[in-house]
Amino acid sequence: MPGRDANLFFDVPGATLRFSSSDLEQWAEHLAWCYGVLGLRSGCTLAVQDFGNSPLSFLGSAMLMPGLERGVAEHLRGRFICLDASAERVTLTPALLTQVTVDALVVRADVMGLLDAELAKKARGREQMQKMPQIVVALGLDDPSPHGDSRSLHYLLNEPAKMLMAPQCPSCGVFHLRGGFYDSDGPTIHNLRYDCEPFEVSGAEILIRGFCGSEDLGLRFCAAEGDSKSL
Amino acid sequence: MSLSVSVSDDIDNIERWPEAALRSWQAERLTEVVERARDRVPFYRSLWSRAGLGNITCDSIDDVRQFPIINKQDLINAGSEWVPGSHARVGFSTRGTSGEPLVVWLSAEEEDVYIVPTIRGFRWAGFENGQTALLMSPVWHRLAACESHAVVRMGGRCAFFWGSLGLQYAGEFLSTLRTTRPDFLTTTAPFILALVKYGEENRLPLHDLFRSVRAVVAVGLPLTPRTREYIRDRLGVGDVFERGGTQEGAAIDECRFHSFGHVHEDVCYLEVLDSSGHPVAPGQRGRLVVTKLTPTGSVFVRYDTGDIAAFASEPCRCGCTFRRLKIFGRPESSVEVSGRMITAYDVRLCVENDPVLVGRNVLLIRPEKRSSGTLSIAIEGVEHDTVAVQNRLCEKLGVDEARVVWLGSLRVAWGFRQVIDGREVGLGS
Repeated sequence: MPGRDANLFFDVPGATLRFSSSDLEQWAEHLAWCYGVLGLRSGCTLAVQDFGNSPLSFLGSAMLMPGLERGVAEHLRGRFICLDASAERVTLTPALLTQVTVDALVVRADVMGLLDAELAKKARGREQMQKMPQIVVALGLDDPSPHGDSRSLHYLLNEPAKMLMAPQCPSCGVFHLRGGFYDSDGPTIHNLRYDCEPFEVSGAEILIRGFCGSEDLGLRFCAAEGDSKSL
Repeated sequence: MSLSVSVSDDIDNIERWPEAALRSWQAERLTEVVERARDRVPFYRSLWSRAGLGNITCDSIDDVRQFPIINKQDLINAGSEWVPGSHARVGFSTRGTSGEPLVVWLSAEEEDVYIVPTIRGFRWAGFENGQTALLMSPVWHRLAACESHAVVRMGGRCAFFWGSLGLQYAGEFLSTLRTTRPDFLTTTAPFILALVKYGEENRLPLHDLFRSVRAVVAVGLPLTPRTREYIRDRLGVGDVFERGGTQEGAAIDECRFHSFGHVHEDVCYLEVLDSSGHPVAPGQRGRLVVTKLTPTGSVFVRYDTGDIAAFASEPCRCGCTFRRLKIFGRPESSVEVSGRMITAYDVRLCVENDPVLVGRNVLLIRPEKRSSGTLSIAIEGVEHDTVAVQNRLCEKLGVDEARVVWLGSLRVAWGFRQVIDGREVGLGS
């Protein structure tokens, strides 16, 4: 039962996540699966610009959480760069990208605008980047479209209070709710691995298993035009 | 010889080893680090080869002085020639207060080594089995990443608040404080000072909110004795400890006597050097140079951190034989006046001599000319006894003239930046 004998408590908007060290294992594996769907491969370098309480951060490596045998970095046999999402740290990111070749940069949606501005300001930094990373925008269910440009961005749903982590499939464009982790009952989504209230996602249609040739459920957003989550 | 063998068997008690045994043990670690660096880090191989140190051995820890001193720019320029292999899975960024940030890599093996001094420091600060610690985010700093491991190994529970270490997250912090009722708290000094102010301005019952907290461990800003008392008394917490460290491997914790912090000499070897690169005597200030004594992760051999520090002159009453060191600031938290480097810490010591001014944010104003003999500072809040403050600054810091600007209602957040341009507070052109 998740949360039993909990010794790790993470306050996130709307909830307190409670885990024992061993509970984290499956979530790190799941997050690595999400990154796999997004196209990240073994040996990659992943940088995450998020708060430390976000699962995207604390599941990043076994080195970040006690008792976690394998975090995302270990699953991907890759590297993980910790980038806090405070404004002062976001301003440092362009300079860091000139030093290290990063395959994917995962950014909280609400700091994406600031990061974009910093990247534009430091155009010289862009030139020095050996390779512009794939940018993955981490969206909460209530996040509006982070910006309206037409760049090829990738999206990952991340709703910490529900332990919802679902990648947008590059093939079908739908967010995959992984089989065995999430289930649905009509419009209601159940988390099968974490004890939280079932929830609905407004403005989204749930696709039944079998779409995109997978055993996952799908979440297709039909929200307002221009919303990054809609197709 | 027999002494060395017997103490080496007692590694858990290394903090109480006689100095000779400790230095001998450090020399062995240094040898491992140098061999590893030479074998696997092209930057060092090339640097040392050019310096004629291709096959040098380290018979004593003092042999570290043969190696050239390096700095951040050297490592940035070295690029992939310095970056360790893929065994070092997690990267942290320095804060970039002195220019460009640097990505520093940590390996699991190295972290395991650094968890030991974290446990030691927490034990000194009174953490006990079964307690709950409200901790800094593990992604903030490599030392913070070690904290939750230390707490769990000590049989404790970890709580984390949402957001980051800025005042805009004070509400989230206080909410977690209220619900978890931690016994122990780690944070940054600027954040906790900002929180005191936030609480007072909003008439929050700080004593009640912090009632469960027996110890606060603060990093990021050297605490003056009066600032420590101020935090302790305003929050009503049992004690306040200063923790120090750098992404490059320095690790320092205070014991209960709160003089200088003890360097965890089982993980790093620190030097304090003058501008010519020679060691300064204990009690005198110089530049802090770090050698990390673990051979994995990012390798640092004689890395000039840019910090201004001094070793304590006397041994500590607690019985720990690790040397004690205080980091007073950095060039970017200091100004040069009358040929002297004055840190924000020095100025706060003078200002806080008046109890009314304790806890107010004090900033240094960058002199317009390098040769200036005038020290200009800005103090938060309404004017209070200007002449006495100026006289104290002149007398204690040896400057020709001191000028104080009172910020009144102008808000200046506590932060790591402690030097401002005069124009930011309406001075100068």
